[in-house]
Amino acid sequence: MNRIAFAISVALAVGVAHAQDKTIKIAGFGAKSGPVRSFGVNSEAALVAAADVINKGGGVKLADGSKAKIAIEFYDDRCNAEEGISVIRRIAGTDALVAVGPTCSNVAEPLFGILQKKVDDASDSGLQFPVFTDVAIKVGLAKISQWAFRNVPNEMTMYNSLFYWLRTQYPGLKTVYGGVEEDFAHSRATWYIVMKDRAAASGFEVVGNTKWLLADTNFATQVREMKKANADIVAISAHPFSACGALKEMARQGVKPKVLVGLTSSSSMETLQGCAKQAEGMIIPTSFAPINKQAVAAAKTTANFKGAADLHSMAAWENVFILKQVMESERISGKPGDVQADRRKIRDGLAKLKTTDGLIGVTKRDAEGEADKPYLFVQAKKGEWKVLHNPL
Amino acid sequence: MLDFLQAVSDGVLFGATYALIGIGFTLVFGVMHKINMAYAAASVGGAYAGLLVLQVMAGAPPWLVFLGAFLAGGVLGWMVYALCFHFIPLSNPLATLMSTVGMLLLIDEVIVHVTAGMPQNYPAMFDDVMLRAGEFSMRGDLLLVFAVSVLAMIGLLALLYRTSLGLATRAVSQQPVAAQLCGIRLVRVNALTFVVTGLLGGLAGAMIGASVGTLSPLLTTPLTVKGLIVTVIGGLGSIPGAILAGLLVGGFENVLQLYRGVTERDLYVMLLLFAFLTFRPGGLFAAKSGRD
Repeated sequence: MNRIAFAISVALAVGVAHAQDKTIKIAGFGAKSGPVRSFGVNSEAALVAAADVINKGGGVKLADGSKAKIAIEFYDDRCNAEEGISVIRRIAGTDALVAVGPTCSNVAEPLFGILQKKVDDASDSGLQFPVFTDVAIKVGLAKISQWAFRNVPNEMTMYNSLFYWLRTQYPGLKTVYGGVEEDFAHSRATWYIVMKDRAAASGFEVVGNTKWLLADTNFATQVREMKKANADIVAISAHPFSACGALKEMARQGVKPKVLVGLTSSSSMETLQGCAKQAEGMIIPTSFAPINKQAVAAAKTTANFKGAADLHSMAAWENVFILKQVMESERISGKPGDVQADRRKIRDGLAKLKTTDGLIGVTKRDAEGEADKPYLFVQAKKGEWKVLHNPL
Repeated sequence: MLDFLQAVSDGVLFGATYALIGIGFTLVFGVMHKINMAYAAASVGGAYAGLLVLQVMAGAPPWLVFLGAFLAGGVLGWMVYALCFHFIPLSNPLATLMSTVGMLLLIDEVIVHVTAGMPQNYPAMFDDVMLRAGEFSMRGDLLLVFAVSVLAMIGLLALLYRTSLGLATRAVSQQPVAAQLCGIRLVRVNALTFVVTGLLGGLAGAMIGASVGTLSPLLTTPLTVKGLIVTVIGGLGSIPGAILAGLLVGGFENVLQLYRGVTERDLYVMLLLFAFLTFRPGGLFAAKSGRD
């Protein structure tokens, strides 16, 4: 009798240990080296922090009723398209069920191109692996593949709302001038496709734009052109380093527009670290600010993992919780032999989503896999981003 | 016409920073007949190290940060020598070239990891001063950069032509074997050359940081390219050539940017380089023997 009891207890113990060992691997990828390393560092911290919260709550419920912990493995793509493609192929060769990334739009666009374009298309040998993007923000990329999904802000909606709001708040303002970082996919697309168009749609006259490159050091000529245009609103579609260079030159030359608008990606600590004084007053639409308890908690937990909370990293946080929900609703098995089947279930689950819960509100999702996230306008004030207006 | 003059003035003033970087490249080449590809990265590294002064002493004046960068540049210069030249056979030109390329990437990545790639605000002097004559204006901080660059060049020339170290350096650059036979310690002179160029590089990095107002690891590659262009156009090994070429390239690219736009600007700078390589391969201060 004692032997039987012992055998049962050993079996149970082994069973419990086995259940505790179950893990679901989520791969993160993005730039962790090079000048945009902060994107990858913050995304990784947010992914690990979110997984930690889920794991402390028991983990992900699998089809057989058992629970599995989430393990995050982060890969560096150096914000380079070739490396990004190589990384996603590597990830697809592991037992990771889904990947969250990349951080750069110039990586996302070609990378989505190697995924299978249409699900179940036998003639398409593209990679069948779900990718759920957190950072790369260039508009309209998810339609490239039915395996690609995004939880990035919709800049078209955000800048449409911002320029409309500016029109109603400052009816005396008539003209807009752009400063564009010409050699970066996101900043370029945001000016030419989004800002310029949305400003005109709100009744502003776009009087021109000036261009510079990501690594430029001398902005004198561009700012002189800007000064000549004497526009009421200056929109800087550039990432923090060159945005700061241009803002400092604007201060030197005494260019003081009535309103300064910035690029979504610049609503981060990088801009304030580089040029808080010159960025004072800059207005940017963003999909994250610590405006409620859960957003504050997410920012704090991410900080514990040495990451900063911003619109990009908090999208990574949200992605982990969305994926948990999808894995549970689609009843993935989590078994080593079912990796491809589970990947497919996750893809199908992501495709079914019409709305998801985000940190500052509900995100709507369209049939192409794009998100329409809630947003608000923040303004640089005394070295901090303060909420200026919540349009929703 | 005013736009043209303004573009030339802005470009030439900023070109002083290219000249400082070019001098570093050309001095090492003049003495050792080697290219130090890590020079611009070490210069930017020195400038970053200068920011440590603000960590230790919050609110420290900009000149103290510049001094910190100057000294850190010297230390980095010595490190580059020790790691990329001292233990590597100098007879193989590719070995030192590749080791310095490796060092460039290493310094770049160290900066990226320490700062997470975040741009760092860099202090400047006279950045609120703008000299105006009607519509024409000149930045006070760039005039300071220009003045510092000119003083640094004068100091370097004085070192080379008025001191025993300078004499030894020139001797090593002309006839290393004969210099050794005269009792000059080759290793010491080479190391000191790197320290001196490093000091200059640290200062150059600080001046670039001050004139841009922000430091970023993004600066290392374009500055390396500009430094090499300036060195070739000025004439390999020629300090006055590097100075003149730096100012020329600065002015030229700014004028081209004005008339042809930022996307074509670098194309024309490269064409200028090819023109020099074809028609005046020895650079502005070419030896009289000509291209062959």
